[in-house]
Amino acid sequence: MTTPLEELLKMTPAEIQARNERPTADQLRSKTQTYYEDVNVGDELPKYIYAPTPTHLFRWSAAIENFHRIHYDLDFGLNHDKNPSILVHGSWKQSVVPQYLKDFTLPKGWPWKAQFEHRAMLVPGDTLIVWATVTNKYEKGQMGFIEMDLGMKTQDGVESMPGNATVVLPLKGGPDIPYPFVAPKD
Amino acid sequence: MTQESQQDTQSVLTPAVKAMIGVEGELIESWGTVDVEYLRRFTQAVMDPDPRYWDEDFAKTTHYGAIIVPPIMVSYMTGRIRPDAEDAITKAFEENPMSDGIGSVKRPGALPEIPTHLVRTLNAGNEIEIYQYPNIGDVIFFQNRYHDIRERVGRDGKAFLIITREITYTNQNKALLCITRQSSIRR
Repeated sequence: MTTPLEELLKMTPAEIQARNERPTADQLRSKTQTYYEDVNVGDELPKYIYAPTPTHLFRWSAAIENFHRIHYDLDFGLNHDKNPSILVHGSWKQSVVPQYLKDFTLPKGWPWKAQFEHRAMLVPGDTLIVWATVTNKYEKGQMGFIEMDLGMKTQDGVESMPGNATVVLPLKGGPDIPYPFVAPKD
Repeated sequence: MTQESQQDTQSVLTPAVKAMIGVEGELIESWGTVDVEYLRRFTQAVMDPDPRYWDEDFAKTTHYGAIIVPPIMVSYMTGRIRPDAEDAITKAFEENPMSDGIGSVKRPGALPEIPTHLVRTLNAGNEIEIYQYPNIGDVIFFQNRYHDIRERVGRDGKAFLIITREITYTNQNKALLCITRQSSIRR
């Protein structure tokens, strides 16, 4: 049972980090299927907790070849762009979202789509909480569609990435989700 | 709070701006292929230890039958500078010693500029739709398109634009991998 977001936000950063539910490789290897029938409106997904350091940011810049100085050059960030520090990449945040949805739908569901906005500036030292809450569910074409609100909050409750997503889960006793995924016609 | 553009506000959604909706860039082949080393660096940087990305024996037993690749990963291949191109970083700092590190690098397949006097750009949001996981060895093609351009009016009474650029990613078999959309505010 995941710790409710509301409770997490009353905790210290260390207490929040201790409740990280990001799965290990072995947990992802052996994950059992969550079916459409297992999910209810109002359910909270597991919370993924991150505590980015300047080194994490540098690694991300290097991995995707993003050379913008606001992400690794503190002098430039403070004095040229007048930012509070070097900044966590929006590209990293938006890359966490498909991972989060993939992990929830594994091994045979599908992380179909997501949309979100970038709002607050995130900096090293922040504790970040990736969260989602189920808002709707419906069946279509022998597939189960789960809609959710999601985001990435700081330890202070500032929402840096409000958004929503739709994922597809198999029905109990139903067929596999087609792969490659084909969106149902409206 | 914004609202739909009112008639007493000078519209910035001119016929020339509206005509940009649907305009496509060239279909571009990204430099290189999807390879295990880029996959390792990417998944470690995003902190996703999923063995579907690196354990070939396990991957063969999964729903997908092979190593898979995060679709969002291939979206960053569009920014690669060809090795036979001018060194973009050196050029950026030659042009401006206080360069932000990116400079005015023109990316392949870029869309023509929107014909507007509005210059200030802010990120308004992102979307991703996922249809198929890329595989190791895939060649990635991408194409930009102006998906939508809308007008809104800010609290200051001035009209601004919300421009949504869509990028479609396909592989060497023309299979659709994913679609991303980025909306930006132009004030």
